[in-house]
Amino acid sequence: MPSNSDASSRLRRLFLAPSWLVLVSLMVAPLAIVLAYSLLTRSPYGSIGKPWSLDNYSRLADPLYLAIFLRSVWIAAAATLLCLLLGFPLALFISRSGERKNLYLTLVILPFWTSFLIRTYSWMFLLRDTGLINSILLRLGLIHQPLPLLYNYGAVLLGLVYGYLPFAVLPLYATLERLDPSLLEASADLGARPWQTLLRVTLPLAAPGFLAASVLIFIPCLGAYLTPDLLGGGKTVLIGNLINNQFTTARDWPFGSAASLVLMAIVLILLLLGLHRRGEALL
Amino acid sequence: MTRRDLLAASLALTGCARDRRPHLNVLNWSAYIAPDTVPKFEAAFGFRVRYSVYESNEEMFARVASGNSGWDIVFPSASFIPPMLAEDLLAPLDHRLLPNLANLDPAFERPVHDPQLHWSVPYMTGAAGIVYNRSLTPAPTAWANLWDEPLRGRITMLDDPTDVFGACLKRLGKSVNSEDPADLRAAARLAIAQKPLLRAYINAEVRDQLVSGDVLAAQMWATTSQQAIDESDRIAFVYPREGYPFYLDTTVILRESSRAELAHRFLDFLLRPDIAAANALASRTTTTDLAARKLLPAAFRDNPTLYPPPAIAALGELEIALRPETLRLRDRLWTEIKSA
Repeated sequence: MPSNSDASSRLRRLFLAPSWLVLVSLMVAPLAIVLAYSLLTRSPYGSIGKPWSLDNYSRLADPLYLAIFLRSVWIAAAATLLCLLLGFPLALFISRSGERKNLYLTLVILPFWTSFLIRTYSWMFLLRDTGLINSILLRLGLIHQPLPLLYNYGAVLLGLVYGYLPFAVLPLYATLERLDPSLLEASADLGARPWQTLLRVTLPLAAPGFLAASVLIFIPCLGAYLTPDLLGGGKTVLIGNLINNQFTTARDWPFGSAASLVLMAIVLILLLLGLHRRGEALL
Repeated sequence: MTRRDLLAASLALTGCARDRRPHLNVLNWSAYIAPDTVPKFEAAFGFRVRYSVYESNEEMFARVASGNSGWDIVFPSASFIPPMLAEDLLAPLDHRLLPNLANLDPAFERPVHDPQLHWSVPYMTGAAGIVYNRSLTPAPTAWANLWDEPLRGRITMLDDPTDVFGACLKRLGKSVNSEDPADLRAAARLAIAQKPLLRAYINAEVRDQLVSGDVLAAQMWATTSQQAIDESDRIAFVYPREGYPFYLDTTVILRESSRAELAHRFLDFLLRPDIAAANALASRTTTTDLAARKLLPAAFRDNPTLYPPPAIAALGELEIALRPETLRLRDRLWTEIKSA
């Protein structure tokens, strides 16, 4: 019935229109502006104008900036891995805690009720020389000098893992929750020990959760700039800081735009590679 | 009370009520004026003032760069006057409407960035020096002390290229406004050599760590240091003997302003001794208004952090606008320092 399907496709378009409008006005248009800026030139005093050029991109080929990109990928990958390692047991535990599931899930989400900025500042109070952790260790006589916990890569990594752990727990929980318990029973019936079941049944079946969690964590970590600034003490530059600096202190918006687009390109390429390898149709 | 009154009252409460009287639009740094300055101006001249704040020159510049931002008056630092002029953002000043200019400190009557005060009126000034915990002996006296090995891990520098390069250039005996790439590279090498000793590049937030003694010495602005000194007697401040950069914040009228005369009256109002004194006292800053200084409480006026004696004030060097090539090199070197 062609007329019927015409009507349904018209209805479909009508209902999709608001989403398209939001997508175009809040995503496509701003990106087009960023693209245009990245191809323009910074005038001597910081405003943006012609001529069009690829100069901003060739400036990024500098080994200094390449090192920053590599460092950011490395930190984001490490944070993602740690989140998965910590998140999986927790997700498994929650998915098997029966009636208390909701309570535990609420606890995982609870930190989001406070601003990320304030939570990062709280970490500074915990980690600094006269902070809670060092004070307790000193009082107990376990150390005699405060440990340098704040203002290094370790602190940045800790801040990122803390901030993004819920993004590992929630997707993993969602896949583990849907896991058919009869598969686990079958595995046990066939003589597998619990750890064998975990490694050979649960983990492979949770793969989509791992993939979703990795994407959710890796991308924002790659662009993070607040955590390296506050917990890294401004001594570590990641791509996010580089871009932030171009839009503020350096007032070089074209260069900052080029750096943002290259960052997006890296994310897309890594994403496509990862998805292609797994043959998943996540996107 | 009718329903309409109730509606009007609730609108007024939420700030939605439209006051039809003409507005003067003032965009200033945060905490840079006494709380009653604007109400006093409104009462004296019968105009409303729409007042808002910014946190950095860059932010202000981005907000007014379009030329139709809706603001009449902003407070750029001296180093931002040439860029704003290049973008044709500033309106010339009419000194006949600024009789209180006579109150200005002679030291600021002919600043290098605007010798005739044709575009800008000096407002407040300040510098970055060394703030330190009194438990540190001997007390620091020079930028070189921020490179002392025994202080490893207990020093911080400002997270700002202008200030870090300023300190390094002064340590090298160069001008803070040096445009010589060799000078900038030497300064960057000095900063990279210092980095292993640094706890962090951090701004005003260092205050708590300074009071608690986690940090013993920090590069810090005099105003912020004075706020820390006011709160804790364990803190002291010193202007380094090699010299130091200082900034000068000014008041300007934007070219887009359609209320130039009223804007002049506001600028002149800020130069009134009682008003300038109240602003300096409230924001803990250094006013460029000499007549106002006489009205300040002696304890505040004689305070060596905000009002250093002439011999020390002479060590300061005004930060002015650098050439674009210099800024680009400095930004690249700054990234190099930060990622070293």
